[in-house]
Amino acid sequence: MALPVKISASVINRTFFSTPNTTAAVKAVGATAAAKFTTHKSASKSSAVSITSASRTITNFTSSPKNIGYQQRFSSGFAAGPGSEKVPSFGDYTKERTNDSSRAFTYFMLGASGTVVAATAQSAVHGFLMNMSASADVLAMAKVEVDLNNIPLGKTVTIKWRGKPVFVKHRTQEEIDEANSVTIKSLPDPQVDADRTQTPEWLVVVGICTHLGCVPISDSGDFGGWYCPCHGSHYDVSGRIRKGPAPLNLEVPEYTIDGSTMVIG
Amino acid sequence: MALSAVTKSVSKFTYNTFFKRESVYFSTVVVGAVAFSIYFNSAVDNWWDNRNKGKQWKDIKDKYVKPAEE
Repeated sequence: MALPVKISASVINRTFFSTPNTTAAVKAVGATAAAKFTTHKSASKSSAVSITSASRTITNFTSSPKNIGYQQRFSSGFAAGPGSEKVPSFGDYTKERTNDSSRAFTYFMLGASGTVVAATAQSAVHGFLMNMSASADVLAMAKVEVDLNNIPLGKTVTIKWRGKPVFVKHRTQEEIDEANSVTIKSLPDPQVDADRTQTPEWLVVVGICTHLGCVPISDSGDFGGWYCPCHGSHYDVSGRIRKGPAPLNLEVPEYTIDGSTMVIG
Repeated sequence: MALSAVTKSVSKFTYNTFFKRESVYFSTVVVGAVAFSIYFNSAVDNWWDNRNKGKQWKDIKDKYVKPAEE
């Protein structure tokens, strides 16, 4: 069967085109068409019950099967024709890259995206975590300055620090000696006086009884330090528990002494 | 419009140095993320300070606080 090599687009879109009716294929197609025609005729008869006689005359056509046999349907691949297996060159549309540079570019873009995503995630997590930390006003309130010049020798001053009382005791030499003369092993909570003070003259303790949280009374009790009126705990001049139900010494907060200024917190 | 030899060698070197091994690739990404976030934060800070020049406390602090006091 001789087919035209060049086929116009309109022919391809229709997917069929005429062939000469001289071959055996045409006879076969004609036979198929005749069978189709018969089927069609019977169908039109059965469906023509409600149709008028005039329309029935129109539908009840008679035609030669030969007229249909001139056309044959081809698959699109066949319609492309011989010689169409040649792949056209796409050189004008492909990029000017080697495999190496293309691969490097792909990995670079992937890595750069990952870098930005990782930095963004880090920033987001950092923001959430920083949100939990103390704000500047809270941090500003967390420290208390004490002018040590205002505390005479032998006196105790109570300062409010973070909602808690803090005792600052200006100790005399006798009190320092007394604090050092204690047998450490005999104490309920053994602690050397030097571990509780930065300079021996100044003792700073949180004024909350370690028993149940009452505020002890300064310069009272059997040992010259503090006395808790709630359950009778006695603290000495170093803030250590000496007698009573309290289990631990008075807590020493963080503080720094710079000249005559003490900063607690 | 052929690719230059420099581009070829650079891409080959980059691939062999950073991309070939997954561990090196991942480490490069992490280090790059840290460097990028530092760079990006400082760049935005600089831009912000430049945009608000003369309005922030650190710019006008000299008018209100004497340096001897601090």
